[in-house]
Amino acid sequence: MAEPVVCPGTSATGSRVTVDHVTKSYGRLAALSDVSLSIRAGEVLGLIGPNGAGKTTLFECVAGVLPSDAGTLSIDGRTIGAKERASFVFYMPDGIAPWPSQPVSWALDFTIGFFGGAAERRDEVVTQLGLEPLLASPLGTLSKGQRKRAILAIGMLTPHPLFLVDEPFDGLDLRQTREVASAIRAHAARGRTVFLSIHQISDAARVCDRFVLISGGRACGEGTLDELIARARVSAAPSHPSASSSPSTLEDVVLALT
Amino acid sequence: MWCLRLRKAPFAWLLEKEWRELLASRAWWVMLALIGPLVGVSFISAVRTYAELSGYGGTAEGVGEAFSPLVGVWAPTFSACELAAAFLLPFVAIRVVAGDRQSGALKLELQQPMPAFARIAAKALVLMAGWTIASAPTLLAVVLWRSYGGSIYPPELMVVILGHFLNAGLTIALASAAASLTDHPSTAAIVTLSVTVGTWILNFIAAVHGGVWERAAGYTPTAIVAEFQHGLVRLDVLLTAAALVTLGLAVAAIWMRLGVGVRRRTSESITAMALAAAAIVACTFVTATHDFSENRMNSFSEPDQEALERIRQPLRIEAHLAAEDPRRVDLERQALSKLRRVMPRLQVQYVANTTTGLFEQTSQHNGEIWYELGGRRAMSRMTTAEGVLETIYSLAGVTPPQESEGIFRGHPLAVPPRRAAAVFYGIWPALIVAGAVFHRRRQA
Repeated sequence: MAEPVVCPGTSATGSRVTVDHVTKSYGRLAALSDVSLSIRAGEVLGLIGPNGAGKTTLFECVAGVLPSDAGTLSIDGRTIGAKERASFVFYMPDGIAPWPSQPVSWALDFTIGFFGGAAERRDEVVTQLGLEPLLASPLGTLSKGQRKRAILAIGMLTPHPLFLVDEPFDGLDLRQTREVASAIRAHAARGRTVFLSIHQISDAARVCDRFVLISGGRACGEGTLDELIARARVSAAPSHPSASSSPSTLEDVVLALT
Repeated sequence: MWCLRLRKAPFAWLLEKEWRELLASRAWWVMLALIGPLVGVSFISAVRTYAELSGYGGTAEGVGEAFSPLVGVWAPTFSACELAAAFLLPFVAIRVVAGDRQSGALKLELQQPMPAFARIAAKALVLMAGWTIASAPTLLAVVLWRSYGGSIYPPELMVVILGHFLNAGLTIALASAAASLTDHPSTAAIVTLSVTVGTWILNFIAAVHGGVWERAAGYTPTAIVAEFQHGLVRLDVLLTAAALVTLGLAVAAIWMRLGVGVRRRTSESITAMALAAAAIVACTFVTATHDFSENRMNSFSEPDQEALERIRQPLRIEAHLAAEDPRRVDLERQALSKLRRVMPRLQVQYVANTTTGLFEQTSQHNGEIWYELGGRRAMSRMTTAEGVLETIYSLAGVTPPQESEGIFRGHPLAVPPRRAAAVFYGIWPALIVAGAVFHRRRQA
């Protein structure tokens, strides 16, 4: 393996990322309507919402994979363009099976070499995600859960300060979900900001510091669990008969606010 | 925060990745397996015919004594590459370009801030490397021909190879653009094959109607390959092909990007096409050519060439020959195509009421070829090079040059294609199957 070289300039420590007024429509269908939120450096932020709420569309717009109709992404108040965004945000989509004929080991090396990732963290990430027995297997031969972990490892090795993951727990069993959650927490503890899109609320509660609720393409709330509970109590309404009259869990909050 | 980066450049990683993806592509292995027998059929048939015309198997010796391996062997042998470039290579290129989009790898790779053109260039370079390996059977043909004692004139052989590489480049660019523009590989394959068939239709229309169609058809892949197969290199054709390859790759790069609206991509594509069209129009004014064939099949003899170059006045030719009249084909092939290269101010006009000319035979002017030079006019019905030159010399008042001593005598070879069947139908496919199995096992 080639000798690593050190490069500066990708720190997110202390940076606050703001997503402002993002709007996206597919023809007449409004997928996102004026969505704004903020992401704090080093936190694990969860984007919670039902299927079809616009979570993936928001992620793709933030990552610059999908052109938004309106809206900006700012770092510490400075709006960043598409080119700068590519070196700041890394987005890991859900449901992809990249490089199916290549072994996991090569995919990790490629990620480090191609994106300028952290070579010294390779073994740690492999251990955290239990990938040792899979290193020689082609990505296309892995089960859904195995592939999810391999893809997550690819994302964890990229150097971008902000890491967006769409449905990180999809396809994982309970044990794997806990292991992956703990790996994500450890990853964030090293200073990387992680933004997760999750539709399983129990999984989100396990791993996230703060939450953004989204429904019907609109942001319905943002904050820590306590902040959201307080807000939900205020707006706990007869209009949400299925919601608890005194919300105390994330599930109650989601039902009350979305 | 500091991060670590491997010393190998991202582009080198991309090249490695594309190469690994090519090796994993079944389409490429299938192309490798098929191209051997395809070249074999062409080579064996060409060498057998060449041998028979050279006196092998009881045929009259001397019939093919002016035979050139360029026309007799290399043009038909390499035509197998033309077939592979039209029907096999597009699928390999589409697999390499569209595969990333299908698997989702493109969404990851595009997050590396590298220009989109560099990405498509990496794919094109790897595909050209893949095509070079696939062309190996033609080199086996060259080795076999040499082992029979056949003559090889390297410049003309290199020109044939160059023509087929250009053709492959055009195919790769077209398939890449189609794969980027469309959502599914099968749609891309249909688009690519449609364009290929479209160029054949253009050639057909050009043969019937001539004029602008004929000029446009001169830049189709088929026409380009045909000229290179005759050892002729035209700078305008080279530049036009380069412009078309760049356009195809640029369109592929434009549509490969994510996060850019359709309207912007469309306007960028239209701009690229307009620039390419302007470049191509400019290329058509370039007249530099070089005849690399050993027998100077695309040129008059050197003394004639020198004599014609001394005629400074513009020459105008008016030929009363219909588009499908075989005499017109003779006139073009034997005289006018050579004359245009040496006299750039030549003007040719065809006069005919119909395309076939069947009902014009009774017209008293049918078949007349009028020459006008320096205010003098002359008429002739001869369509051979000698006849045309004689008329031009008499009009220009130039004494016809003496016959050159260095006339091409040809390289007859009365040897059958020994061992060729074993090489192309046995050894080559076996090697490819073994290579594919070895690669697959190594991956597993």
